[in-house]
Amino acid sequence: MGDTRNESSCIESRIGNEQIFKGPTIEEDKLKRERVKKLLEDFRTQPPKVSIERARLLTMSFKETEDLPLELRWAKAMEKILKEISISIDDNELIVGNCGEKGRHGILFPELRGGWLAKGLEELNHKDENQFIISEQDIRVVKDEILPYWKGRTAHDAFLNMLPEDTRNIVFGDDDYGTLGLIQDNANINASLNWVCDYQKVLQKGFLGIKEEAEERLIATGPDDPNNNIDKTFFLKAVIIVCDAMVEFAKRYAKLAADMADVEKDPVRKKELEQISRICEWVPGKPARTFYEAIQAQWFTQLALRMEQPVAGVIGNGRIDQYLYPYYKRDMEEGIIDEDKALELLECLWIKIAQFLPINATRAKSFWQGYAHFEQTVIGGQTQDGRDATNDLSYLILRSKKEFPINYPDLSVRIHSQTPEDFLYKVCEVIKEGSGFPKLLNDETIIPFLLSQGALLEEARDYTGSGCTEVRMINRDTYLPLGASINLPAALEMALNNGEVVLKGKRIQLGIKTREAREFKDFDELMNALSIQYDYLVKHFYNRQSILEIVNEQKLSAVITSLLHDVCMRECQSIHKGNIKGARHQDTGNINIIGFGTVVESLTAIKKLIFDDKTLTMDELLQSLKVNFEGKEVIRQMLLNAPKYGNNDDYADNIAREVDAMLLTSPRKYKTVKGTSLNVKYVPVTAHVGLGAIMGATPNGRKAGEAFSEGISPSQGMDVNGPISTLISIAKSNSQKFNNSQARLLNIKLSPRIVDDEKGIKDLMSFIRAWCDQKHWHLQFNIVNSDMLRDAQKHPEKHKDLIVRVAGYSAFFVDLSPALQNEIISRTEHQVM
Amino acid sequence: MGGKVNLGCVFNIQRFCVHDGPGIRDVIFLKGCTMKCKWCCNPESQSADKEIAFKQDVCLGSVQCGRCINACPSNAIIESKNDKSAIEINRELCVNCSKCATICPARAITVMGKLMSVNEVINAVKDNSIFYRRSGGGLTVSGGEPALQAEFVECLLRTCKEMGLDTAIETCGYAKWEDLRRSCEYANLIFYDIKCLDPKKHKDFTGVDNELIIGNLIKLSHQLRDTSVIVRTPIIPDFNDNQEDVRSILKFISKLNNIKQYELLKYHSLGEVKYKQLGRKYELSNFKPVNEKKFKELQKISKEL
Repeated sequence: MGDTRNESSCIESRIGNEQIFKGPTIEEDKLKRERVKKLLEDFRTQPPKVSIERARLLTMSFKETEDLPLELRWAKAMEKILKEISISIDDNELIVGNCGEKGRHGILFPELRGGWLAKGLEELNHKDENQFIISEQDIRVVKDEILPYWKGRTAHDAFLNMLPEDTRNIVFGDDDYGTLGLIQDNANINASLNWVCDYQKVLQKGFLGIKEEAEERLIATGPDDPNNNIDKTFFLKAVIIVCDAMVEFAKRYAKLAADMADVEKDPVRKKELEQISRICEWVPGKPARTFYEAIQAQWFTQLALRMEQPVAGVIGNGRIDQYLYPYYKRDMEEGIIDEDKALELLECLWIKIAQFLPINATRAKSFWQGYAHFEQTVIGGQTQDGRDATNDLSYLILRSKKEFPINYPDLSVRIHSQTPEDFLYKVCEVIKEGSGFPKLLNDETIIPFLLSQGALLEEARDYTGSGCTEVRMINRDTYLPLGASINLPAALEMALNNGEVVLKGKRIQLGIKTREAREFKDFDELMNALSIQYDYLVKHFYNRQSILEIVNEQKLSAVITSLLHDVCMRECQSIHKGNIKGARHQDTGNINIIGFGTVVESLTAIKKLIFDDKTLTMDELLQSLKVNFEGKEVIRQMLLNAPKYGNNDDYADNIAREVDAMLLTSPRKYKTVKGTSLNVKYVPVTAHVGLGAIMGATPNGRKAGEAFSEGISPSQGMDVNGPISTLISIAKSNSQKFNNSQARLLNIKLSPRIVDDEKGIKDLMSFIRAWCDQKHWHLQFNIVNSDMLRDAQKHPEKHKDLIVRVAGYSAFFVDLSPALQNEIISRTEHQVM
Repeated sequence: MGGKVNLGCVFNIQRFCVHDGPGIRDVIFLKGCTMKCKWCCNPESQSADKEIAFKQDVCLGSVQCGRCINACPSNAIIESKNDKSAIEINRELCVNCSKCATICPARAITVMGKLMSVNEVINAVKDNSIFYRRSGGGLTVSGGEPALQAEFVECLLRTCKEMGLDTAIETCGYAKWEDLRRSCEYANLIFYDIKCLDPKKHKDFTGVDNELIIGNLIKLSHQLRDTSVIVRTPIIPDFNDNQEDVRSILKFISKLNNIKQYELLKYHSLGEVKYKQLGRKYELSNFKPVNEKKFKELQKISKEL
């Protein structure tokens, strides 16, 4: 998978043997990061492990609480985990706490897809890019002690059993933990959509403060309560249990640190351990007093949330430069820390984050390549009252992104019309480094979008990025049921084949019998057939979404997540309850469209060659697709060279707009059982690779098995007019038909030659300003590197867009002779393409 | 202009250029050049007429495809004698009618050069104005030698200025003064190439005298004294990669009053592939890169301006 970097949407860091440490800078810098580097040492040598403790403790608790209300069952389970899970503090650590295992690890959630674990655990051991180590003995514990309890009791069992038969078939076929290929379902892989909590609450009130609130409420709901709120007492009791358990968990660390300090010979480390002990004695129970305490409290909270339930892309860090700033500012003013110390603490937090890896309980491994992690960490943006929110900490975090040796955390910057010029300059300096970070979110699009969905202005301005390119309002949003990805090229194939589609080599009648493609009199009839097939998939999508809403409410109750939420606390309801009063029950784009570019390109080629120019017949096309263009290269080339979306060509871009409008229309027609109207997003992660792998050839000239286009972008290499034309096309493709479109993922390849000097950075800044003006949603850069160029030598057809940039000269990289290409590759290694 | 449509022969509109003037720009490459520099990296710019370019490596060949063989009215396209599945273009017989390019499914055969009106060019770039506005960029006319299409260039750049777009031009200076003046009239910035002051060497390597070029630059500095000029010298090994040549140019231009900057461009052989596609021979085929250290030294001199 040499080219996953090009293909995967949010660039995942590859830890392991390929771990790249940035070259040595100045001596001082080397010394400064000594602790961080020591902490990172075993990242390189050790694949991550599976820790089964969380699953074991949870299961033990659940066995004993069958007669309790759901909130209390979950509270008790979390209490048991927090009180009993093994704890440890590594050498050199400043921020402490883990999920039961030293080093990098993932944990198991048998309550969701327990049925998958029996087989899946052994698969995890396979040496590949997703490898996790698990011992024979642990596998036995899982199989003998954990899974038998969950058999028939998991969320996924309930989900499958409740699904209507036809929906179940369309989604899963005969693979309950994979996909038939039309809809790739994320149900129960995680317990929740992308999520971020209100860390500020923990920092300001502490869990004890929150517990006090719950206690007061509990008294108020006593026998004297005229409204009889007795049903709310379960939630409040659950909150109290969990708050106490959080404090106890930290205190276990306080004691461990103190014990270790007692026997520590190194006086420096001894002092550090004593400090850790004092801090863990104080937070997260009480309000944080220092920057150090704030980060430790943030990590304990995040850690507990990670043990409570898996969320898509892992729990986010939210607007970290906002909620940590008061502590940073005070400590800096009082001389308690300096920039380097603050940086070290932040980076210790990044390491804790990097040590925890999500295990995706699905057979469809290629849908989640690498150890994907989207703990979105957001800086910049606006304050609730609409001023620029950038502060010193925003700059410091950017600096860490530039200097920290591994690709953590998943950093994004909120850009808006008043983003300060010097901050944007620093952002561009980091982008230039070529890691693809930070990614950019556009306030000028996202805030109006949230307003259109009913948010208050101050809430909308305080949104945070969450997951890959999705967004959240952390004290208003409550919608957690996961969505699924729709294979749009499969819908097109059904439209062209009277409802039939070939998946994994098998031809199946799955869609609606629209009509034979040769009977289409014009392009509109084809579009109509496509919209019927898509609508059919959307209907089944709503079925599965409704069932999942029911299952989530019946099976899940995330008490820690809920107690940190204003609305849940006010209403004394678990966040998994649908329709809580005062909440915004809106998903973050659950209908995830895969292969938008592939379909637009296909339709454009069909319109041009078959209906307009009549240089190709529908039969010839279908025949060529059937044989995967074997002996039909002439036709394939005609398709490949038809007008292409992504080049600011109205012919193609108007079709893109029409498709976008169609994609937004169907979901508006339906509602889930809880009354939710679902949003559309274009965020592939790596599903465009996974779904592409099981599909046959497509009318854009793509051969069977090749990846689909990614996000809202054209297929790889099809946008040959440079990034500006791509951006213009993509802006044009946004039909704005309804306000149900969000998270439009957009990756742009950029040649390092463009950003290698002062002017280059200024131009990149202008590019971003214009992107902001154009009201795109998201942007992430892929700086062209030598690996990408080598791949272009091997697969020129995928890289037709690489332009060699030299003054007064024009040519594409793939057109050069191998010798010249090699020369450019060697130059690119020194950043001068 | 009146009722007559003013057409220019364009061989490429390159987007997102950042080395040809301020900000982010589109460069309009015009066809036709007055010089024939041995190192020319855009050989498709030399002839003023449309030309056929052929990319052998993407051609499907006569067995799989061969559509161009039938389409060619001059019988200029034939199966290769060496490789029966490949095709060959006989440039002697080719009349550049472009029928083969229209029918080629793989775009192995393309036409270099397209007649475009000023409006067509403007339409092709105006969507980018949002990027121009943010970056202070605009449109740069390059070539070939734009002054060969002086009327078109004048009209194009005037229209741009009327629209508030920034304008620049790249010229080799070898053109009739009146044409050059008209072409530069509406440019905010002029890139002016001086290859070498030694007349004999200049003639050897570019095929023309440098007297006109030098004279035109002096005239520019008087008659368009408010327009900034950046003088550029491509540094070619064994031609002008020495201190004397660079110093003499520096000395000459420092006497002129509107030269804003002196810039050296490093010679590269990236154009080599295009010679083959056009069925021509690349004369500098045993390419030697410019010595990096030497180039840096020369660059230092150029910055003395």
